[in-house]
Amino acid sequence: MKKLIRAAAVAAAAALALSACGGVGASSDPANVSPTGEIKPREISWLLSRPADGAVINIMKKLADDYAKDHPGFALNLITTPDRPSYIQKLETLAAANKLPELFDTDATPFAQHLAKQGKMVDAEKLLKTLDIYDDYRPGALDYQRFDDGSLYMIPFQFELEYFWYNKALLQKAGVTVPKSLDDIPAMCTALRSAGITPIAIDGQDQWPLERYVAYQPFRAAGPEFVQKLKKGEAAFTDPAGQKTVEWMAALGKAKCFQDGFSAQGYSDAQNQFTSGQAAMYNIGTWELPSLATDKLNSAVRDDVDFFTLPTTAGSATAANEFVSPSGIGMAVNAKTYDPLVSDFLKFALAKYPAEYAATGALSPTTNVQTTVPANATPLYKKALDTADTLGAKQAMPWDTQLDPTTNGRLQQELVLLVQGNITPEQFTSTMDSTIKQNAPKFFK
Amino acid sequence: MLPNRSRTSVLVFLLPPLLLYCAAVLFPILQSLFLSFFSWNGISDMEFIGLDNYVRMLTADDIFWRSFFNALLYLAICLVLQLGGALVVASLLTSLRRGRELIKTLYLLPAVISTVAIAFLFVRIYSIDPVGLLNQLLHWIGLGTFERAWLSDVNTVLAAVSAPEGWRFTGLYMLIIYAALIAVPKELEEAAVLDGASKWTLFTKIRFPYIRPVWITTTIMATTYGLRGFDIPYLMTNGGPGQSSELLTTYMYKTAFTSTDFGYASTISVFIVIECLVAVGLILFMLKRKADS
Repeated sequence: MKKLIRAAAVAAAAALALSACGGVGASSDPANVSPTGEIKPREISWLLSRPADGAVINIMKKLADDYAKDHPGFALNLITTPDRPSYIQKLETLAAANKLPELFDTDATPFAQHLAKQGKMVDAEKLLKTLDIYDDYRPGALDYQRFDDGSLYMIPFQFELEYFWYNKALLQKAGVTVPKSLDDIPAMCTALRSAGITPIAIDGQDQWPLERYVAYQPFRAAGPEFVQKLKKGEAAFTDPAGQKTVEWMAALGKAKCFQDGFSAQGYSDAQNQFTSGQAAMYNIGTWELPSLATDKLNSAVRDDVDFFTLPTTAGSATAANEFVSPSGIGMAVNAKTYDPLVSDFLKFALAKYPAEYAATGALSPTTNVQTTVPANATPLYKKALDTADTLGAKQAMPWDTQLDPTTNGRLQQELVLLVQGNITPEQFTSTMDSTIKQNAPKFFK
Repeated sequence: MLPNRSRTSVLVFLLPPLLLYCAAVLFPILQSLFLSFFSWNGISDMEFIGLDNYVRMLTADDIFWRSFFNALLYLAICLVLQLGGALVVASLLTSLRRGRELIKTLYLLPAVISTVAIAFLFVRIYSIDPVGLLNQLLHWIGLGTFERAWLSDVNTVLAAVSAPEGWRFTGLYMLIIYAALIAVPKELEEAAVLDGASKWTLFTKIRFPYIRPVWITTTIMATTYGLRGFDIPYLMTNGGPGQSSELLTTYMYKTAFTSTDFGYASTISVFIVIECLVAVGLILFMLKRKADS
């Protein structure tokens, strides 16, 4: 019996030692971006939250196949969860279990910053500089991925601009013009409603589209710094910029700007309302160009569709050419599993990616390639792409990437109630300020 | 009494399922209990905070209490639909001469459809824009004033998400109660009818007392399932608008996996376990007292 126990103890010790050996060659220093050693091809995984048949995945699959030709045994396992809330839960659970794969997607959230602080992500700025491609990236694309302290741990794969798409014929029918100021929108909605038109189609189910709206007034009134302060409890909804957005959101609700029952309607419901000519406006990014600016768009509305950028307000702190221009969810590199193979593959893939991506008709996060306008595009397609060249230096950050998750969840819930008129602006303000006070210190200590 | 050898073999055969049960049910419950005394976001070090989570839950969390009362209302609606509906349908079925199998199958059908499909189905049924089945029906029968966005209205959303859950399992409980009802001895019923018992007396004095053990089991099943209800409300409204359809279970899930507050989520899960145990205890107590009297 004693022998048996001794044998088991030896086996356990050996197993522990072996599993420790598994990490040989991997660097765990986030600043060490060029690990030395032999490239040993193996399968690596990328946990991502992008459309399964989208351009990013298709291109990366192709590049991985090309890389595997010279490196037999290499494979890139792409595990995608396009539904963002489910993805975030998966990511956080894997992070909690310390089981993150070689590459994983994340926004510049407080949670990601925790991971970066713990040295679990490779310093992306150093990595891109070492690969000598840092200067190719659009500053805006990189800024979107940065944490508040300016550090960069995620690599962008997209560059998008968010516009207000509108239907010229419906606006004309209601006798209204494109709003010059954000403050014109409630009155515009009232006019559209009295003409029997749904003013704005919105995907209420996913909650982030409505959360975009709450970011607009403070971005114009106080610039991008407002949310950075708000999330830490250094600014509040009781501040002038905060009150402005609360009152404006309530006004949008009162003017019935969004379609009836919007909170239970999904992404495609909202898009269908706009593309079928029922709704006059639709706030979405250039990732929808293929369905809004090509011959795939319903011919009945094709010639009537146009877009405008985020309107300014009187005394605006930001310029008209500054609005929401996200570079999408970024890719982080796991510091624990970063080794010569991962480094070499990234060097190969990141150099070839922009040209392949631009050829699909999308905006590359880099400026060294020209986007190919598809053959079936309407003139609007090029106009939408060209706007990228005139962007200002500041950008409006989506609040769901900024706030701590508990505050964010509560904000999304309370916003619906505010817009539906179930709570007053005062109730909203006090609930949100106390939620931030309670949760921010835990996340931003 | 089993002979010694077969008693040992029974124990041997019972042991693996018992171990499996301990590993799959008891261990997670104990682990939740342990975690509930900590503050832990999943990636940083766990910090022991004693009963702070419990104090916060019971005294300082408005969403918790809102979810708790929502869960009770959700349970009440589910029980009325599932047990009440099942009893009515099963009783009617016993008096039916033909087509019983067909009706049984039709009622059981929702129980075999996947939850996601049911959730999508009901989102469409409740929709106002485009007009869904419910609003269309109201319009046709002249009750157009009742048309509304059922899932966006804070006053109707909880009932709207409870109904699919109730509807879904009515057939299943109907089947169990029906099986119990047809086992009631015919002689007893015939004797009562000869003595001049009305249909109502027949039901309350003979049939129901006879099926009481099955009724208790069914009530416990339906109650514990109802208290653990999660998928349909989560899929249909994600607890919204606001917290109008938030249940303890969806709140616990969000606390754990969105807010990454695993310690506090464990505290809520401990509460759910206690709540289920209390509910079962209450049911047994009430039904036993009634049977004794």
